[in-house]
Amino acid sequence: MTLCNADGLYCAGGELSAKWRISRVPLDEVQGVEVSVLWHTEGKGDEDLNVHHFQRVAEHQLRRIGLADEQVIHCVLPRTPLSYHGRLISLQWCVRLRLFMVTGREIVAEQPFHLVSEEMARPHSLAPDRLAVTLPRANGKPRGNVLEPAPAS
Amino acid sequence: MPRFPKPWSKKRGKRILGHALAGEAGELTFYAGLFLVGVFGFSLVLINEVAPESVSQVPTDALSTGLGTWIFGILSLAALVTGGVTLLYRLARIGASSERRSAIAKMAGAIEMIGPSADDSQSLPSVPKGSAITESPGERLTYRLAAEKASSGIAGPATLALLWSSVWLVLLAVVVSGFWNGRPRWYLAVLLVPFAMISVWSFRFFLTQFRQFAGVGPTIVEIGSHPLVPGGQYDLFISQSGRLKMKRLTVLLTCEEETFYRQGTDVRVDRHEAIRQVIFKERNVAVDPQAPWEQQLHIDLPDNVMHSFVGTHNAIRWKVVVSGESQPWPSFCRSFPVVVHPPGLSLKHNPRST
Repeated sequence: MTLCNADGLYCAGGELSAKWRISRVPLDEVQGVEVSVLWHTEGKGDEDLNVHHFQRVAEHQLRRIGLADEQVIHCVLPRTPLSYHGRLISLQWCVRLRLFMVTGREIVAEQPFHLVSEEMARPHSLAPDRLAVTLPRANGKPRGNVLEPAPAS
Repeated sequence: MPRFPKPWSKKRGKRILGHALAGEAGELTFYAGLFLVGVFGFSLVLINEVAPESVSQVPTDALSTGLGTWIFGILSLAALVTGGVTLLYRLARIGASSERRSAIAKMAGAIEMIGPSADDSQSLPSVPKGSAITESPGERLTYRLAAEKASSGIAGPATLALLWSSVWLVLLAVVVSGFWNGRPRWYLAVLLVPFAMISVWSFRFFLTQFRQFAGVGPTIVEIGSHPLVPGGQYDLFISQSGRLKMKRLTVLLTCEEETFYRQGTDVRVDRHEAIRQVIFKERNVAVDPQAPWEQQLHIDLPDNVMHSFVGTHNAIRWKVVVSGESQPWPSFCRSFPVVVHPPGLSLKHNPRST
């Protein structure tokens, strides 16, 4: 999966498009594919998950479009919740692809991205001394945004 | 040695002990069994009511009286409905990914709406609306904030102290009468000691609550604008009534992470204060019933902070906290929730205009 923004930063309310393609898996072994744009929480609490955009490609549709060609999904992102990384809660946005095999196995691939406000996405707001959103590293691993730590009370 | 598959699974952090499918199968079996037991029991009750001669061979004591029949019938019906509904719900979840379930739930929610309202285009998903916060106009500033939890009343502690003391006095009377009649009840006499300790504790608890109730008056917090936006500046008005001398009075703006998680069969909550901004701090504050302590303050909300967020198991809550350490009254701490929106997306609403 590849995102249209290489840095993985998306403005709240902006458009997202992602390309996906399945390779090294025979078409006969695939039963269906689900592509979703969603946010989920990580951390100490139980997981919250909310799907913003969902697309299911059934077996007969897969046979028609094939696996070799790149497919594209588009969606307009919501204005909230923004990406966040705290001590107890992390809120992560991602494009998730779930591949259902004929054998009953499921293969999941994720491409995380950050949903940030317009002010955070502006280049000047990413000055190191005011950085609230940690930018993706070179290897594309995601990180979220952070609140200022509370001083010891 | 082959291990017998367990019909349950257990979540330990992110790990799941046991096979998830075994857990689902175990749940399905349990609810199917509950449903069938309910069907059987309810059938027995129906047959007993409609054609009692045909169940003469059924050896059941529960059906021997009218009241027993009704109780048995209600329990059977409850088992039937609970088992049936939960079984159908669990069956519907099998084979669907968590994303698909979420998408279906979202579609189901959209069906209820006749059409998108004017507010929908402006909506902020997972951000609390805070309508309860903005429905009360203030006297000095635009909004009067509502306290998170009403101050605990004294009716509960008073009832507890009164009832427990009454029980203790009744027991005392029984013990005294036993001694009087020459038939002492020693085990009751021994029980009087722990019961007296509980009685003293409940009375002291009542006194503490009463002192707090009588001494610490209401706290009024008003704010000039709401919701808040990162980087914004806001006027804040605080008024504290009562009759007390505080060693320290503090007004804070806090951002708290709150998570709910299951540990075994318990649901636990954990909180972490991510941001703590001291708005006001003063020592030796005197509050008189004729002259409440009042202060006009300012909030400077930092840039690049997270907006308010509410999920099913996780939340990020902003609030204004007023706390005081006083003598001889107990210390108090009152929270007034506010909603923080992301920058550039805030919705304005004025209670005076509606």
